[in-house]
Amino acid sequence: MAEAAIHRRITPPGFGEQVADALLSGRGIWPAVPAIVVLTVVAVIPFAILLSLGFSDFEISRGAIVSQTFSLAHLTNALTDPLYWITFQRSMNLALSTTALCLLLGYPVAYLFLTGGRWTKRLILVLTIAPLLTSGIVRTYAWLVILGGRGVLNSALLQTGLIDQALRIMNTHWAVLIGMVQIHLPVMILPLIAVMSRHDSRLVEASENLGASRIGTLRTVILPLSVPGIGTGSALVFTLTYTTFVVPQILGGGNYLNAATMIYEQVVFSLEWSKGSVSSLILMVTCLIVLVAIALLTNHFTKWTKGHDA
Amino acid sequence: MKWFRGRSLVDVVGIGLVLAVAVFSLVLLVAPSIIVVVISFDTRAYVTFPPAGFTLRWYKAVFEHGELVEAMLNSLQVGLTVTVLCIVLGVPTALACVRGRFRGTTALSVFVLVPHMVPGIVLGVAVLFAGALVGVSPSIWLQSISITVFIVAVMVRTVQSRLMRLDPALEEAAANLRATPFQSLRTVTFPLLMPAILAGAVFTFVEGFDNLSVAIFTHGFRDRPLPVELLALVQYTSSPIVAAVSGVQIVLAIAALVVVSTSIGLDKVNE
Repeated sequence: MAEAAIHRRITPPGFGEQVADALLSGRGIWPAVPAIVVLTVVAVIPFAILLSLGFSDFEISRGAIVSQTFSLAHLTNALTDPLYWITFQRSMNLALSTTALCLLLGYPVAYLFLTGGRWTKRLILVLTIAPLLTSGIVRTYAWLVILGGRGVLNSALLQTGLIDQALRIMNTHWAVLIGMVQIHLPVMILPLIAVMSRHDSRLVEASENLGASRIGTLRTVILPLSVPGIGTGSALVFTLTYTTFVVPQILGGGNYLNAATMIYEQVVFSLEWSKGSVSSLILMVTCLIVLVAIALLTNHFTKWTKGHDA
Repeated sequence: MKWFRGRSLVDVVGIGLVLAVAVFSLVLLVAPSIIVVVISFDTRAYVTFPPAGFTLRWYKAVFEHGELVEAMLNSLQVGLTVTVLCIVLGVPTALACVRGRFRGTTALSVFVLVPHMVPGIVLGVAVLFAGALVGVSPSIWLQSISITVFIVAVMVRTVQSRLMRLDPALEEAAANLRATPFQSLRTVTFPLLMPAILAGAVFTFVEGFDNLSVAIFTHGFRDRPLPVELLALVQYTSSPIVAAVSGVQIVLAIAALVVVSTSIGLDKVNE
């Protein structure tokens, strides 16, 4: 017994550990294999199937495709349908204006973060990260409370006598836009802060020592350096707002159709698979086009730090 | 008045304007949550302002609302499943991305990001259709695995950035002391990665708990997750019960914030 114990202690690692070494030494691709398999099965193959459904006529019986032939009919149907154009245009307008407003409101916060003291910085981080940890529906609900007929805004305006009849904001484009901007503001601010706080603070000091005003420093030093952050923030906000259905559904009432709510209706209510596939593909492609445009613009306006900042 | 001395008018007005917008935005970020919390204690049964009195009945109502409690438990299960799957799949992948000595480490990091870059609803529709064709119907498990695929990139990125900043000398020291790679991983690297894993876990859990875009297409017919249940509730009722749910969520968010700030620090969240 004792011999066996000693033997075990001086022998090199057992079989289990040898296998673990081989797998986890981190030199090979092995540790990533489970993730690759799962991503392939649950993302890559489904995307391929979606693509094939969008570009073919198919017949489904008992949950399996029995016949499938290549066809562009669904795509041309969608592209000639005015409803598609209106809906996608509405989504695009909404997403682009939300992105622009988020940038307009978010950039000053990032500037305040850069120039502010320790407690200012901490406060800004808490106020921007905390909303991301609560549900988007709950945050949209807040706007229902504020903008509703008997909501906070109307009560306040009526009581102060600024208006004598309740404003109708709910279920309009404005309600959707206000909600969208407020809900996605943190997503814009965080990348801006991340890129800005990576700068050498001596650049700002140098600019001020050379006699630049603070607004001049902001315009000629801070702004050009923060272009990558503007790009990342805009890309994130655009993707989210272009493809969301929470805010349009809740604040826009039942009749505010955007791309996401349209896809939802096609897939879940009317069970039109080919329409749903084509709409999803159009959504993905148009989204990608804007993202590429944002990337190109970002690259074009990035100065001095090209190749350093992500 | 030191602030104004020696500044041109343009400068004072310009910066003043920028700071005013910043303060406005910060108020805009927090005000709706405060209003909702106030509403959640209101005695009246419809949403209005200012509140008429103080009551806890909406909080009680949340926990007596059978479907809501069930939805919360479902989302809790999804959140935990997603977190565990993201750790199991994501941490080793981050190791391979950073430590790998094979061709295509960059391709691997990009590949992991792809499902995250695709709009959530497109992933949801794709999984729903693909599942239907192979006979996998929507369920709490399909929902969990789909959200995992969607969000695993966040875990990989968080762990990856921490790994890249680790001092390689620490592992070399372990190797010199005759630790096997597995031993040094377990006793040196892993403890050092813990804060990043914890932060990643918070964010993947929140996504699993709150995700609607993927979940709305993949959730089981009988086990509806909280976001789906809430969406229906918000659309069809106007009682302050949703405000009470918000109150509960805000408390949970603060708890999560404390965990993140003590594990990796708030300012590191962004990297």
